[in-house]
Amino acid sequence: MALNPAEQSVPDITCREVAEWTSAYLDAHADDATHVRMVLHLAACAGCETYVKQIASVRDMLGLLPRACASPAQRDRLRQAFFTRQAPPPSKT
Amino acid sequence: MNAVVITCHESSLQALPVRASQIASAGLSLSYEEQSLIIRLRNGDEGAFDELVTKHHGALIRMALGHVADREVAEEVVQDTWMAVIEGLARFEGRSSLRTWIFGILIHKAKDRGVREKRHITFSDFESKGDEHDEAVDPSRFQQSGEWAGHWAFPPQPWDKQTPEKLLASRQAVNAMNKAIESLPQTLKDVLILRDVEGVESKEVCELLKITETNLYVRLHRARERVRRAVEVHLEGPALTV
Repeated sequence: MALNPAEQSVPDITCREVAEWTSAYLDAHADDATHVRMVLHLAACAGCETYVKQIASVRDMLGLLPRACASPAQRDRLRQAFFTRQAPPPSKT
Repeated sequence: MNAVVITCHESSLQALPVRASQIASAGLSLSYEEQSLIIRLRNGDEGAFDELVTKHHGALIRMALGHVADREVAEEVVQDTWMAVIEGLARFEGRSSLRTWIFGILIHKAKDRGVREKRHITFSDFESKGDEHDEAVDPSRFQQSGEWAGHWAFPPQPWDKQTPEKLLASRQAVNAMNKAIESLPQTLKDVLILRDVEGVESKEVCELLKITETNLYVRLHRARERVRRAVEVHLEGPALTV
């Protein structure tokens, strides 16, 4: 006997569970069943949609944060070390 | 274009291009940009070395700060890392990306220094604190009982499309995000910096930190949520949210 639509439906996932799975979902690391449940839930839940978008924004912003630089003195020391190590040895005459 | 992989004779700093058939034996084919960079480095191109330092120095300092006591020690660890990179360039075989190799050296040196300072946090310490099992989002933001248990009681307020751009242009917002990163436990900080700040592929992060992908995502999400929460507080103030 065929199952009725209610019995065939994917069990719902709570917002609390969605919040835990968000990063795995965004990186396509959630298993297929969880992914489907997430997609269905996100289509109907504005709070979770907002949450997932915010985590995606945070992920993207982290790669764009201004980077700390080496101090000029450190940079000079490293450049000197690099130059010394990479310079060819003096030729024997 | 012929694919090449970098290898090098022990006694020489010159890169030797090897044919595609030899890539498999090296374990990983590097991108054209990466190969070019390594060749430039091995040819003693100071500009290439400067590029490398500019690109990774800040993230290396941040990661080191998760393992050692203060900034001064972190800078020493990073300096040692760069020296090891300079010394080891000739032996780098391209089995991982250059970036992964550099961060691997940093992690090794930072852990070693952290152990000597007795500040190293072992995995069992981390587990015993229960961080791995706590939920990323404050449970009090969800309905605790009734028909809607587990659904939002205090949902996040939407950001407009310009919010990320505005945040990155705001010194206070950037400081809030940096502060959130700095205050992360070392295990969360390592994954966040490698995956999101540096953009290292998940599998490489797992290999570097010797963790499973599931474990990676548990940690990564806790770290991202703490930064998201810092942004939320910056935008709305602590009183408006839980």
